[in-house]
Amino acid sequence: MNTLKPAIRAQGLSKDYGEGNTFVRALQDCSFELNAGEVVALLGPSGSGKSTLLTILGLINEPTTGDLWIGDSQVIEAGKVAQDVNDVRRQELGFVFQRSNLIPFLSAEENVRLVLELDEISPREAKKRTKEIMAALEIWDRADNAPNKLSGGQQQRVAIARALINEPSLLLADEPTAALDKSRGRQVMGLFQTAARERNAAVLVVTHDHRALDLVDRIFMIEDGLLDTESQFKPSEFGVIGK
Amino acid sequence: MNLAIRDVQNDLSRFALTAVGLGLLLTIVLAMTGIYNGILQDATALPDSLGCDLWVVQRNTRGPFAELSRISPDLEDRARAVPGVRAARSYVSHTIQRELPTGKPIRFTAVGLSWPDDRGERLAIVDGRALSQPHFECIVDRSLGLSLGARLTLGRDVYEVVGITEGLLASGGDPAVFFTRSDAQAIQYDQSNEAIRLDRESRTRRFNESSLKNNEALRRRSLEANVSSPALGPPPIAAVLIDVMPGIDPEDVRSQLEEWRDITVYTQEQQDELILGGVVEKTKKQIGLFRGLLVIISAILMSLIIYTMTVDKIHSIALLKLLGAKPQVILGMILQEALLLGGIAYAIAILIGNATFHLFPRRVVVGNEHRLTLLGIVFAISVAASIIGMRKALAADPNEVLAS
Repeated sequence: MNTLKPAIRAQGLSKDYGEGNTFVRALQDCSFELNAGEVVALLGPSGSGKSTLLTILGLINEPTTGDLWIGDSQVIEAGKVAQDVNDVRRQELGFVFQRSNLIPFLSAEENVRLVLELDEISPREAKKRTKEIMAALEIWDRADNAPNKLSGGQQQRVAIARALINEPSLLLADEPTAALDKSRGRQVMGLFQTAARERNAAVLVVTHDHRALDLVDRIFMIEDGLLDTESQFKPSEFGVIGK
Repeated sequence: MNLAIRDVQNDLSRFALTAVGLGLLLTIVLAMTGIYNGILQDATALPDSLGCDLWVVQRNTRGPFAELSRISPDLEDRARAVPGVRAARSYVSHTIQRELPTGKPIRFTAVGLSWPDDRGERLAIVDGRALSQPHFECIVDRSLGLSLGARLTLGRDVYEVVGITEGLLASGGDPAVFFTRSDAQAIQYDQSNEAIRLDRESRTRRFNESSLKNNEALRRRSLEANVSSPALGPPPIAAVLIDVMPGIDPEDVRSQLEEWRDITVYTQEQQDELILGGVVEKTKKQIGLFRGLLVIISAILMSLIIYTMTVDKIHSIALLKLLGAKPQVILGMILQEALLLGGIAYAIAILIGNATFHLFPRRVVVGNEHRLTLLGIVFAISVAASIIGMRKALAADPNEVLAS
């Protein structure tokens, strides 16, 4: 693991909501690094701050304080987004959600290609890369199908293809296996692992699902906004017996 | 890929139905514009077609198109004697509603031409000819539905259609039919035999009771079964139309005529202004107001449609934001959909208009300038309507994607 290059570095991220009686500290002084090519699971009970951390890393919400670097580029400085949010999202980030969240009026292929076209990649190049990644994820044969014509697992593969096509530095996944059975859940986690290795992306998976934790490289725990990255949790501690 | 087109294709039937509905609404807007223009053109078509420089009408009246004007036919001769006057013609008109032998009701404005000086040559005759004899011929507007050679029974006489005009309507929208003045008045003052007998009896009794009863000439005149009313003088006319000599300013002639205390004189332009400012003013305002309201309703409806379309895909918009779409991509999609909707609705309105406006009972005048104006209005409405959708889209929160 030590040979992997740091892709993400967070320093002192905190997030406060409300004030007075309604004050809540959702995230407390979180600092960590994610390396390129590794898959990290973020575990914690409901309300522990998982989603808050995810939205900050995805530049959806700003932290109250803290800094964030993606590669060598500082994207959050003293709690403020320091770069064009849209540029960073298009070029550095990928998202996968519990539901596939595909755009219903686009075909599977268009849903994936959209990311490149939003980044003004030429249509020819975009189509080529879309075909490659969809073929790699074994979903190219459903390229022309509308999302509602795909099974849950196929939709999730399309969503993963969409998240990976821009070769992001950081792939954020929010409960990506919650709606899938064990076999499909493991399949998806396997795809993350492959993507991390082959495409050199850091993958942070927020999950309640312990069934595929043996496929992640590290496990972070979060509770009451406090992130524990040092405890070196083992999958077996969460009841995961084997692959 | 074009997101707007793809979104439209996704629910094409709904979009098409919305476009057709909006198109029908724009058709009504266009029709209102055409009817408005038609009213303006119809109102001045008849006086303009008569082609004169001055209108001599009853003192302190606004002319035969605005109110009743009765002047003596002698005024025609008096006017001819005024320096600078090249020609003077009498003008009479009245509205007639009859039933054809087929049972079809017809309504028209009968106009009397000053035979033999005016045979209708100045009218825009598109088929047939002008009047060639002092009686029993007429020139009708095509909108009356009569063809050349058709015979029209009015009063005691039958009139043959010898000429057809186009677009010559009275301000009320009724087609104009041109007769010689004497025929027009014969039709106007036609009475049944019983009415004539009763009138004659009444006149004879009054005459015999008067101090003039020993005047034989007057007695004979009072017994005539003529069409004149009153019987002791020629029937009045509505106006005298004056043409001035070339090189003479109509205003100079007008100022001379205005010195006569029994008449009022208008130039052709003033006559038109009186018609537009008075006779059709309320109708014009009503139609104009209605048209304005329809434009506002179209704008509101289109705004609601665009807003609803935006709300329907707010999740996709939030997702696009999360994927890093620039604001102009999202706003462009909404604007393009609004313009597409407006454009298709406009095309539908033009097509329906072209196919149906000639079937309307009143004339609908729609020119290219009106079509272009509507296009401009539709464009403005589309842009304005999309702004509401854009505001909603800009407010879309990428957090919605995570929450769903």
